[in-house]
Amino acid sequence: MAKIDLLFDDFATALAEGNGYMLANCISPEPPAHDQGRLYHFRNGINQFSVRTDLQYKLQYNPVLRLDKKEATAWLEVFTVYHKFVGTLVHAEEQQNVGADADWGKVYDDWKDVVNALYRGYQGGAFSAWTIPCLYVGGRYLRVFAIKADERTASQRENGLAFSGITEEDAFDPSSSNEKLEDAGRQINRIFGLCIGDRNPLEDSRKWALYYVATLLFKTHFRLNHISLSKNILRSLRATTSDMPPLSNYPKSHQVPFLYYCGVIHFLDEDYSAAEEHLTAAYEMCHAKAHKNIQLILTYLIPTKLLTSHKLPSSQLLSQYPSLARLFQPLCDSIRTANLSAFNTALEQGEEEFVKRRIYLTLERGRDVILRNIFRKIFLAGGFEPPKEGDTAPPVRKTRVPVDEFAAALRLAGAEVGDGNGGIDNDEVECLIANAIYKNLMKGYIARERGIVVLSKGGAFPGTGTCMTHMGFQHY
Amino acid sequence: MTAQPAFTPVEARRTLARDPPANSNKPTNFSSSVVDYVQRSFFEFNRLKGVPALAGITDEDIRSKLSVIVNKATEAGVVNARDWGTFPLPHEHLLEDRKKAMYAAQNAVLANLLEPSMEPQFNGTNGKKRKSHDQDFTETEGQQVTPPWKKKTNAKATLAERMTGKSKNQDKKRKDNNTWFDTSADALERRRQRFAHASPEPSPYISSRDDSPAVDANSGPTVGTCQTLEKNYFRLTAAPNPSTVRPLPVLEKALEFIMTKWKSEHDYTYTCDQLKSLRQDLTVQRIKSPFTIRVYETHARIALQMKDLGEYNQCQTQLRALYKLRLGEGGSSGGKEDEFLAYRILYLIYTRNRTDMNNMLADLTTADKKGTYVSLALRVRAALASGNYHRFFQLYRQYQDRNMVPYLMDMFIDRERLGAMAAICKSYKPDVSSKFLTKELAFACSETELFDEDIERECLTFVTNHGGDALLQEKDGNVRVLTGKAGNVFEMAKQAVFGKVDIKGQI
Repeated sequence: MAKIDLLFDDFATALAEGNGYMLANCISPEPPAHDQGRLYHFRNGINQFSVRTDLQYKLQYNPVLRLDKKEATAWLEVFTVYHKFVGTLVHAEEQQNVGADADWGKVYDDWKDVVNALYRGYQGGAFSAWTIPCLYVGGRYLRVFAIKADERTASQRENGLAFSGITEEDAFDPSSSNEKLEDAGRQINRIFGLCIGDRNPLEDSRKWALYYVATLLFKTHFRLNHISLSKNILRSLRATTSDMPPLSNYPKSHQVPFLYYCGVIHFLDEDYSAAEEHLTAAYEMCHAKAHKNIQLILTYLIPTKLLTSHKLPSSQLLSQYPSLARLFQPLCDSIRTANLSAFNTALEQGEEEFVKRRIYLTLERGRDVILRNIFRKIFLAGGFEPPKEGDTAPPVRKTRVPVDEFAAALRLAGAEVGDGNGGIDNDEVECLIANAIYKNLMKGYIARERGIVVLSKGGAFPGTGTCMTHMGFQHY
Repeated sequence: MTAQPAFTPVEARRTLARDPPANSNKPTNFSSSVVDYVQRSFFEFNRLKGVPALAGITDEDIRSKLSVIVNKATEAGVVNARDWGTFPLPHEHLLEDRKKAMYAAQNAVLANLLEPSMEPQFNGTNGKKRKSHDQDFTETEGQQVTPPWKKKTNAKATLAERMTGKSKNQDKKRKDNNTWFDTSADALERRRQRFAHASPEPSPYISSRDDSPAVDANSGPTVGTCQTLEKNYFRLTAAPNPSTVRPLPVLEKALEFIMTKWKSEHDYTYTCDQLKSLRQDLTVQRIKSPFTIRVYETHARIALQMKDLGEYNQCQTQLRALYKLRLGEGGSSGGKEDEFLAYRILYLIYTRNRTDMNNMLADLTTADKKGTYVSLALRVRAALASGNYHRFFQLYRQYQDRNMVPYLMDMFIDRERLGAMAAICKSYKPDVSSKFLTKELAFACSETELFDEDIERECLTFVTNHGGDALLQEKDGNVRVLTGKAGNVFEMAKQAVFGKVDIKGQI
């Protein structure tokens, strides 16, 4: 048996069984485990001067396949461009293996042709909905090859290999450095449109590909820093929910990434309660061994929880993920011990990474929690009012705290509330207290003329004094 | 962006164009008699410029007429046969044309008068045109005396140029202007004077239509020859005419001139217009140098001062790209990058765009952060992010003398005052002194008010504007602000103003 037949055997089996993933493997840029040399065999097994005829024999005149004419023509189109693509890809990989310059831009363009052939097949109604894994493969590798192509262009530009004028143009148009990826974004968006516009009944609808394709789009937009585009996707998905299967019916591998990206988009939008909801759902559903994904989810869930419910991850949780521990442990410790200067140091040291992950501006707000904790410590240290005679009720805490005491505590914790002349700027101290009251972290009021803060008798610090652990998050 | 042509290309009428004759692209070597004729044309015209009969004829007209004459001669193959020494000069031709056209028009008018029903036949001379015809002959001084039919001959001339493909030749000729013109000191002086009293923008419509020989935008930068310091801004729709573009040395003087005028007169409309034309001249000549940066920086600063955010953003976008080119010595930015980076941070505080702010912070290098201006902008950002209004207003007072920083902060100072008031009203009870509020909300640094009472009144006006008179109370000779009674008035006001600011053209 010719080696190339293995591919078409798989193809026939996939079609006969209705196995979409197996089918998608037949047009994938990566050979399957049982047929490592597939791409080479496919390139060499077909005469490049009679590609169409050769493939016609394999597809249309193949008695095993029994494809109807429309479908056979569509597959013929796909395999014809696929053959061209495989040639380019194999050449590029060979070049890369010998350390030469591989033309990934051409690989991307040829793969785009394959995706377009698929697209036309779906558009013309030649392929039924169970074959959508082919679209997954199409979209996924569009992104992969686009990134490679852009990286190559970028390195060429750095080495001055690309034509010289471009650096100047580049300075005026920063987007051009991701030309292929931007194009990939547009192509995947077309696929998204192809799926969302499908009017077939749900049992046989391309809508089942929607969440996967949406995630691909999110990934692309995030890399390009075009996050607002992702909101459009969410909007169009929301508009379609009525005639779409519920999210929970989709494979978990589609649900988790989608929930994750939804959460991050809400997070960046400062809609922290929605972010918490989505990220928590993703966290709970994520496969326990998918460490990388869990870490990604936690990267955003930790700052979110800090903000929404002032909860910090337990050291136990962090210790499972060394990179997360490195990122968050110092920060968490400083918040727990209410050490402002340690907090500032931790924030400063992690700044680069925090900013890169877009969590800096959120973590920064952890300062409010520290200040609250400092204020609470003063309140607790203040002790109780002396019991009145004959009073049997439990002792009452002192609720009148001089501003000076807050000032002293803030200085102890490393807050910069000096007035620049060695003294303390009490107005700034008051400002910090005012903020805590304004943000509902503390209940009470400042009596400025008397220089004291009058705290509420019942629960001056809402939400504190209880310890709950949920999902490894501790209330603090 | 700037590397593209600095004008919006308008598609020329190409449908009428015939295939150019095969030989037309070859450069033609004209005999000395032709060259002499051309020189004489300009010399004579310049000499006779003041004569009333020639009013309304411009250099452009002469030039296009010349090209028609020479081209016709070339096509007819009589270039070398013609006696150029006695051949009428272009302005004589133009006068002749004008006379003919006038008779034709008069005949047409007469015909119209006699037979109104025939009017549709005379398309070229109906209602509107007739009116202008009358005007043209009464007006002798204005620039736009050129009668419509004359313009038509001009249009034909350029069309002919396009059809014969002579345009490239023309362009070439224009580049080595010097061989064409009389370069004697006398003639040069006369020409200079011409520019001095000509309108700074010699009718851009004509220059872009009639004269531009469809220069390919990618053929290379224009080099200007204009010597005027002042020039109005006009949005280009075609390749610029070098005679209206100022070369770098003139531009440098122009900037100085504009700035002196700005300092003494403070006329923003004028200054903005002048700076825009300056920027345009730089762009069309593709000048990217520290001087370019200085022009944009100057304009950005003035725009900030005048709260012209549109222009400011345009300048910032260009500056961002220009700094990236590292035009300065030893790979430095070549300008005040630190200062303008700080303005961008402050601007992002104003627009409250978190995504952009995050990107901004991610882009800052350690060296950037150490810059005087950037570090102060970062301090402002940090103070606001932590809600530390006390620190924020302190910084505001402190930075009153830092170039345009106070102008930028003014854009959001009232918003932040409302925010601070919302917090103060919720936390201070029962009241605070107006003195405290005045100081805390940094009313004290306004330059217009000299007396403490006036400054305090400004603060109280701010309070009553939002919360009404009921919040103020006189006590022991001092005014108290009843924060305990304000309820959520300021909270509502805060939420109203903290909506997103979105301005077109920002980076």
